[in-house]
Amino acid sequence: MATSIDSPIPQTDANIWLSEFQAILQGAVGGFLFGIPLLYTVEVWSIGAATDPRWLLAVLAATLVGVGLLTQVEGFRQTLSLHPLEALLESIEAVAIAVICATLALMLLRRITLATPLAEVLGKVVFETVPFALGVALARSTLQGKRGRSIGTAPHSEPMPERFTNRRTTAPRSRRLASPTLANLGDALVDFDAALIGAVLIAFSIAPTEEVPLLAASLPPLWLLLIMAASLGLSYAVVFASGFTDRAERRQRGLLFSPITETLVAYLVALLASLAMLVLFQQLNPSDPWSEWLSDILVLGLPASIGGAAGRILI
Amino acid sequence: MNLPTPTDPTPTDVSKRFTQRSAAEWVTFMVALIILLGLVGLIFFDWQTNQNQPPAFAVTVSEAARVTDGQYYVPFAITNTGGRIARMVQVTAELNTAGADDETGEQQIDFLSGHETKAGSFVFTHDPQGGNLVVRVASYRLP
Repeated sequence: MATSIDSPIPQTDANIWLSEFQAILQGAVGGFLFGIPLLYTVEVWSIGAATDPRWLLAVLAATLVGVGLLTQVEGFRQTLSLHPLEALLESIEAVAIAVICATLALMLLRRITLATPLAEVLGKVVFETVPFALGVALARSTLQGKRGRSIGTAPHSEPMPERFTNRRTTAPRSRRLASPTLANLGDALVDFDAALIGAVLIAFSIAPTEEVPLLAASLPPLWLLLIMAASLGLSYAVVFASGFTDRAERRQRGLLFSPITETLVAYLVALLASLAMLVLFQQLNPSDPWSEWLSDILVLGLPASIGGAAGRILI
Repeated sequence: MNLPTPTDPTPTDVSKRFTQRSAAEWVTFMVALIILLGLVGLIFFDWQTNQNQPPAFAVTVSEAARVTDGQYYVPFAITNTGGRIARMVQVTAELNTAGADDETGEQQIDFLSGHETKAGSFVFTHDPQGGNLVVRVASYRLP
């Protein structure tokens, strides 16, 4: 909502492309939030690799129906009232977003490479698309809750008090205005607290599984850099997609850091959380080589950073 | 059928109809449609080309064995030349050397899709060049 707050007309020419991009990004982020746990599941890869093409078509059709039903009440765009045909169009878009996200995610984790046969690629993509598509369809309600219902289409009609009640903050508003730096620091701490909770929430169910060392072991040496970049990019996308990059909005929420600084620090928080969880589950031992520590932590850091970014918004 | 929106406070939302889909949203839809049709097309293509061919295997053993600490590492690659996936593919290697005990190696490959190649190594204590090395696929199971 970066421009819609400043501009008097919500739907200008430049604006529709930006808001559409934001809607797609929001859908993608919702897809990742929902799809990541199944992305880190060996069984889904193997089921996908071994499935008959006819069955894949049936799964795809079932996904489209499920997403269609969800889009009737939810969706990744801001609009609430939908023509039934428009709901169908939006479900097709949601599934397509899910296909792209699932493919990229599988490529990132090296489940799909150039050497992978077509049948296996299709099976994996179709089965991973299912949770991603559900996540895309639920993106608006997941990422914005009640707040998103009126923002975007008509931000000005929203009464100011509601904007304030939906923010979390350590300090009452009067105090924050009186001594902004101290209260902002407190808010930033609350923010990283939320990142930690979100990271643990998403990554805790993945940490004890064998997928983490399995994925880490199959990565080529420099691939870890790509995983780091994807973690940071997705984390930033979560913040961007929910409109928290807007300066006015951020000032109201009392955030101290710039979005990029916050993303970086939140990623470090997610990595520390991953380290703690892996050690807790005895996935990493002091006798393991440092390279295994590094790759395991970074591989688990991907879901943790996505969870952390979502946590900063939701909690 | 429009869904009831009792809590919706904005008049623009209520008046929003199918015709108000923006150009950007149409572009998204067209791209989305192409992606989905492409995916369905690929699934059909795969159905037509691959599914009637049962698994078949080709095993190649590298001539050059690597020697490290007196052990001989013999790389091999197995390809599923059929169309369908095979599970639990069992590759066995037997090295018969004159004047020494036979050495065997065994390798199980969880998944081998059609046209997929996987590689590994067998490890022997005797030089495979000096003996008779047989590598073959012993069994597999359909998914």
